[in-house]
Amino acid sequence: MSQPIIISASPHVHSSKTSKKVMYDVVIALVPAFLVSLYVFGFSALLLTAVAVISCILFEFLIQKYLLKTEVTVADGSALITGILLAFNLPAGLPIWMIVVGSLVAIGVAKMSFGGLGFNIFNPALVGRVFLLVSFPVQMTMWPLPDGITGATTLGIIKEGLMFGNTMTDISAQLPSNMDMFLGITAGSIGEMSALALLLGGVYLLIRKVITWHIPVTILATMAVMTGVFWVVNPESYASPLIHILSGGAILGAFFMATDMVTSPMTRKGMIIFAIGIAVITVVIRLFGAYPEGVSFAIIIMNAFVPLINKYFKPRRFGAKIKSKIV
Amino acid sequence: MSKNKDTFINMVVSLFVITIISGFSLGYVNELTVGPIAKGKIERKVVALKMVLPEFDNNPVEEVIMLKSASAKDSVEVYPAFKNGEFVGAAVIGSTEKGFSGLVKIMVGFKPDGTIQNIEVLEQKETPGLGTKMKDESFIAQFRDKNPSTFNVKPTKDQGNVDALTGATISTRAFGDAVQMAYDEFMLNNSSIIALKN
Amino acid sequence: MAESVNQTQNFLKGIVKENPIFVMLLGMCPTLGVTSSAFNGLGMGVATMFVLIMSNIVVSLVKSQIPSKVRIPAFIIIIASFVTIVEMILEAFVPFLYEQLGIFIPLIVVNCIILGRAESFASKNNALSSLIDGLGMGLGFTLALTILGATREILGNGSVFGFKFVPADANTFILFILPPGAFIALAYLTVLFNKSTTKTT
Repeated sequence: MSQPIIISASPHVHSSKTSKKVMYDVVIALVPAFLVSLYVFGFSALLLTAVAVISCILFEFLIQKYLLKTEVTVADGSALITGILLAFNLPAGLPIWMIVVGSLVAIGVAKMSFGGLGFNIFNPALVGRVFLLVSFPVQMTMWPLPDGITGATTLGIIKEGLMFGNTMTDISAQLPSNMDMFLGITAGSIGEMSALALLLGGVYLLIRKVITWHIPVTILATMAVMTGVFWVVNPESYASPLIHILSGGAILGAFFMATDMVTSPMTRKGMIIFAIGIAVITVVIRLFGAYPEGVSFAIIIMNAFVPLINKYFKPRRFGAKIKSKIV
Repeated sequence: MSKNKDTFINMVVSLFVITIISGFSLGYVNELTVGPIAKGKIERKVVALKMVLPEFDNNPVEEVIMLKSASAKDSVEVYPAFKNGEFVGAAVIGSTEKGFSGLVKIMVGFKPDGTIQNIEVLEQKETPGLGTKMKDESFIAQFRDKNPSTFNVKPTKDQGNVDALTGATISTRAFGDAVQMAYDEFMLNNSSIIALKN
Repeated sequence: MAESVNQTQNFLKGIVKENPIFVMLLGMCPTLGVTSSAFNGLGMGVATMFVLIMSNIVVSLVKSQIPSKVRIPAFIIIIASFVTIVEMILEAFVPFLYEQLGIFIPLIVVNCIILGRAESFASKNNALSSLIDGLGMGLGFTLALTILGATREILGNGSVFGFKFVPADANTFILFILPPGAFIALAYLTVLFNKSTTKTT
């Protein structure tokens, strides 16, 4: 009995899959979208990402080493991902000090205050982003366009147009084409530009089994159905489902933010409920709320429900009787 | 500690006594404060009116006119101001539902020819840090001594003359709408307001 | 509790060891709701302190006359009367504060601190001890609300008690004067408070 007993949380499966490897897979998956942002915004996208990544890692290191005086775990790559995702959710040209503040909130408030990786309730990058959005609405909604001028996002144009009684037909002249949105030539946060690049990364994550299809597919499908119903009933007051899915942070959120292992449910049933919740809240905010975009708010709100979802949809314990068919 | 026993009569009596005492003391305090409260309400309105109107010596609060209007749900309040029996202007409550978060209510003071004397924001629920800046001096200063017949109260984005608040075009538009509505009501009823004094 | 209470300790416990906000986490509703500025926090604190002291005194005076089965409704009537008095006085003489605090003044009635002190302290102690208890707890509450209000005002608006120390167009953390900022600020202040008090004692 001299050997210490190792106690770890389930699942007790041995595999070469460590959290470090998972993290680096996510980084690889984000590369295509990063390349697009470099192509469109050039140096400012690089600067934004570099500042966010460096300050996230630095804050994690400083907090662990000097404030909490615990083991320093920055090498696991989670702070790196938080930094990249935070940068991807910010507009190019945001003042550097704001990026640093966003990183501090993401790492310090959303992650370390809750106990570090694995204990955070909310997605750190999104908390940082929402903090910045609410605090600095002017700078956070100045979207530099590829040609150097600032403009509104697709969803922003729609929201403002509809609020002043214009119909979708009037507005659609100002909107980028669906193809432009798919490829990434629109105004927006640096990482949400190109649906194509994000999908590439998403497929890579699926193939590498870092994520399962349940959350992203359910989010996008529910959004499509919901916005589709409104669109079919009144195409003059509601944008088409295609616009809703290709614009804003829908794809980025569905594949990279909502699937964050720590802040999403454990079981498939739970994942689907979680995803439906995100989609419904997003659509409600987009169509009826004050903000044009609601993916980050929706994910944060549903993050709060994850413990509850996990409680009701527990993974089946090994050896437990199967009452009904396996989910 | 000799507690009163939990008998029915004890409970009724003790609660009854407490309610009676608190009822009388509340009544007494109410007597004391009812005057200052009513006076304070009028004073605050007068202070707001003094901010937006030219100098006056009548009591606009008492002479308030409620105009039935096509452009507002409720009737529009107009406070006429006179000095030495002469009409010097009126304050009109302008409102719109088109603010970023709904209602925006402002008090616009007009000179007799419709030139804006000053504007006070009475109610708004705009985004803090963006739309709330409509209360700022630098924004309201744009409207002073301007006549909406020549000065377009829409933001420059809509071919108007108003520099929009940064990041708050919708709030700026709503503000302009409210000013325009107050101006329209004022011009429409100008003659009847002046006639009122005599 | 028969022997005389050490009044200094009785007074100090409400401020440090049993601080209603930072230690006992009571009365969170007004704490989070009105503290968007230091002045609002102070105003709310003083209004609550007045109600707390008065209700503590009255409850301790009438405690033996009230049958224990109806003590809660009796306390509530006493508290509600003082709250209504505060509300009327504020509206008459400090209308500015009255408008700022709004619905939270009548809500003082259901502030757990007040009923909590009436039930757990004033109904068992004499009038003097209850007065000092109310004063200490009220000061602790006021202090906490003022600190929280000041923190949120500094971060969110760049000012303290309305005195602005940053340029008018400077970027401040607007989030802190909005409701979520109240939660974040309160959480970190609680940590700081408990860290510093456990070190000294």
